Amino acid sequence: SDNTAGSLLLLLLLVSDLLLCQSVASLPICPSGAVNCQVSLRDLFDRAVILSHYIHNLSSEMFNEFDKRYAQGRGFITKAINSCHTSSLSTPEDKEQAQQIHHEDLLNLILRVLRSWNDPLYHLVTEVRGMQEAPDAILSRAIEIEEQNRRLLEGMEKIVGQVHPGIRENEVYSVWSGLPSLQMADEDTRLFAFYNLLHCLRRDSHKIDNYLKLLKCRIVYDSNC
Amino acid sequence: MINDMCDSACAPEGPTGMDLWQLLLTLAVAGSGSAFSGSEDSSEKPKFTKCRSPELETFSCHWTDGVRHGLKNAGSVQLFYIRRSTQEWTQEWKECPDYVSAGENSCYFNSSYTSIWIPYCIKLTSNGGTVDQKCFSVEEIVQPDPPIGLNWTLLNISLTGIHADIQVRWEPPPNADVQKGWIVLKYELQYKEVNESQWKMMDPVLSTSVPVYSLRLDKEYEVRVRSRQRNSEKYGEFSEVLYVTLPQMSPFACEEDFQFPWFLIIIFGIFGLTMILFLFIFSKQQRIKMLILPPVPVPKIKGIDPDLLKEGKLEEVNTILAIHDNYKPEFYNDDSWVEFIELDIDDLDEKTEGSDTDRLLSNDHEKSLNILGAKDDDSGRTSCYEPDILETDFNASDVCDGTSEVAQPQRLKGEVDLLCLDQKNQNNSPSTDTTPTTQQPSIILAKENKPRPLLISGTESTQQAAHTQLSNPSSLANIDFYAQVSDITPAGSVVLSPGQKNKAGISPCDMPPEVASLCQANFIMDNAYFCEADAKKCITVAPHVEAESRVEPSFNQEDIYITTESLTTTAGQSGTTERAVSSEMPVPDYTSIHIIQSPRGLVLNATALPLPDKEFLSSCGYVSTDQLNKIMP
Repeated sequence: SDNTAGSLLLLLLLVSDLLLCQSVASLPICPSGAVNCQVSLRDLFDRAVILSHYIHNLSSEMFNEFDKRYAQGRGFITKAINSCHTSSLSTPEDKEQAQQIHHEDLLNLILRVLRSWNDPLYHLVTEVRGMQEAPDAILSRAIEIEEQNRRLLEGMEKIVGQVHPGIRENEVYSVWSGLPSLQMADEDTRLFAFYNLLHCLRRDSHKIDNYLKLLKCRIVYDSNC
Repeated sequence: MINDMCDSACAPEGPTGMDLWQLLLTLAVAGSGSAFSGSEDSSEKPKFTKCRSPELETFSCHWTDGVRHGLKNAGSVQLFYIRRSTQEWTQEWKECPDYVSAGENSCYFNSSYTSIWIPYCIKLTSNGGTVDQKCFSVEEIVQPDPPIGLNWTLLNISLTGIHADIQVRWEPPPNADVQKGWIVLKYELQYKEVNESQWKMMDPVLSTSVPVYSLRLDKEYEVRVRSRQRNSEKYGEFSEVLYVTLPQMSPFACEEDFQFPWFLIIIFGIFGLTMILFLFIFSKQQRIKMLILPPVPVPKIKGIDPDLLKEGKLEEVNTILAIHDNYKPEFYNDDSWVEFIELDIDDLDEKTEGSDTDRLLSNDHEKSLNILGAKDDDSGRTSCYEPDILETDFNASDVCDGTSEVAQPQRLKGEVDLLCLDQKNQNNSPSTDTTPTTQQPSIILAKENKPRPLLISGTESTQQAAHTQLSNPSSLANIDFYAQVSDITPAGSVVLSPGQKNKAGISPCDMPPEVASLCQANFIMDNAYFCEADAKKCITVAPHVEAESRVEPSFNQEDIYITTESLTTTAGQSGTTERAVSSEMPVPDYTSIHIIQSPRGLVLNATALPLPDKEFLSSCGYVSTDQLNKIMP
């Protein structure tokens, strides 16, 4: 049923993608400030914000589900000292910082974070499937997040293309090296690795959601939200 | 710019080994007592109560003070914090920047000290010793302030004028920057009537207005809202209560809601149905009793009186059972010549006469079997004389026709015996005279001049037979008393040849004295049947008579079976005479035909064959088939 649900979702996304592409691909990329663009930045941002909002919801639910199911009584309380692989990316830590940073930089940061999560999400899906009594709630959400993350990445690249046409930075992202710990034989270590990963995912999706909303307000509404 | 930003957060200096070890130790301690759990000496040690960020930009932590007032001092309890930034912990614990703004026993971190998505650890010290510690991230401790500016507007009023819908609106808490989207809040509305105690909750919504449906116009309501961060579970405080006073109901409004009194209807419905059911049950009590508890069939064997069984008359019971034992339909088919000899077993009148021939040949006493009182509706059987086929219509059956025709002229003969028996009976058993009469008033024959045994049967045909027989006394003289059975037709009819007159000359009436002695010995011998003679002997004996009388009441009740006594009595009277005749005067060309109790019973030529008394068991002139086979090759 997961497979059918996943494939149905893929189909749906594909159709919506096609519809989106129909409207987008045939149109020239709008330079910043242009008014004649068919696909406005506003729409792109709206969609991006919807996606990021959705991804954050899913990751929160997934984390809660995992916490409830596997982490109880295991003492994974040391979450405060966990380190996420995206911590090396120096992202703004509060609202003032986020508002002060230039939006291009922020966009790039967002892209970097999104790219950093491509690999971990892919492996998360594979490893959750391999868990004993693979919980459907977690697995389905993991699959969904992976999918939506890819879409958000594409949307962000389009936004960047509109906001900063011509500037293509090197694809920088943080490398995730947590795969071995996800595949550990020791169950405790493995579960803690999952816990860590899901916690980081929840945090990063919250970051991206907040950044995008700030950006939307700044760019689309010119800080007059 | 990023580098600038990073300067404050990124601490390039690495912690020393000792510091790191210390940090890990403290964190381990913090982990073990993670969520604000109380320690043993909760009353003495200060500990954290909660840390809260209302808008994801600042946060504050609160703790309880120890009860030791003597030690209570602003400086004695300190809060230190440390936070990790870019995979490195800052080296040292920093003290709380603001002990005042958030109130007493609190530490307020303003926005410059607050970093989101960064783990913090704080510790409480008292006189230098750590009393409590905890670690968290700021986005996990968000508890928004209550919404403000609640107001409501009337949406519409129902057509009945009783209910109304309203729309409640509010403003998000002022410090939460929802406008830019930095924080996303979800709101939960609760409302209730003013005099109620339970709040009704609505589902959380993301918008700042929500409709409330179906409020009663004549009631006042209270409304309050609280908020939480999306994806969090902790709600903030409730807003101020909003009082909703709806416009008064118009006088043209419908009256009070008619709440269909389902409860009452159900109660009364059940009551009514129960009454009807009871009435029905009581009216059809008997039938329902039959349905629910069908009467267990009393063990009954046809032809046997249950009272007989009760009284333990084993002898009679055995006899009867023996009779029935042989009395099976399949026996009918065994030997063709054993096939039914249909006898017209007439009423007791004939039996008392002892006119076997008459019985054999006469055909209008088919109902004489009724004497015995047993009924049988098995039309398949052709035997004329069986204790329980008394109802067989001999007129209709072919088998009987032959015999009845031949026996016709013999009928009158029986009347002689009848008269004789009459005499005899009067001599022998006055008691028998009386008892049948009293207990069977329905029998027509209950008259003095009729032989008592006749009365035992309760059937009218018997009575009729008796009547007819009595009516022709004159014809008796011309009819032979006995007739020889010359042949038996394949159909089972018995062909008789005229026999000599009874040379004995001894009226059957002279028999009684001999009867008594032979009764007990022989009566139960023959398991297939019993002789009238034997039976008759028994009748004369006093004890039997008594038994007989006792049985009669039961006999009266059931017409479909006969009592041993009745059989006895019916058979008895007629048997005596034959016995006398056969024993004393074996006439070569006659046979005594007795009432055949079983299909195997047959009439035999008494003179032609040696009559081993013992073998025949009884002095009767008939033998069973088995005995016959022994005698005849």
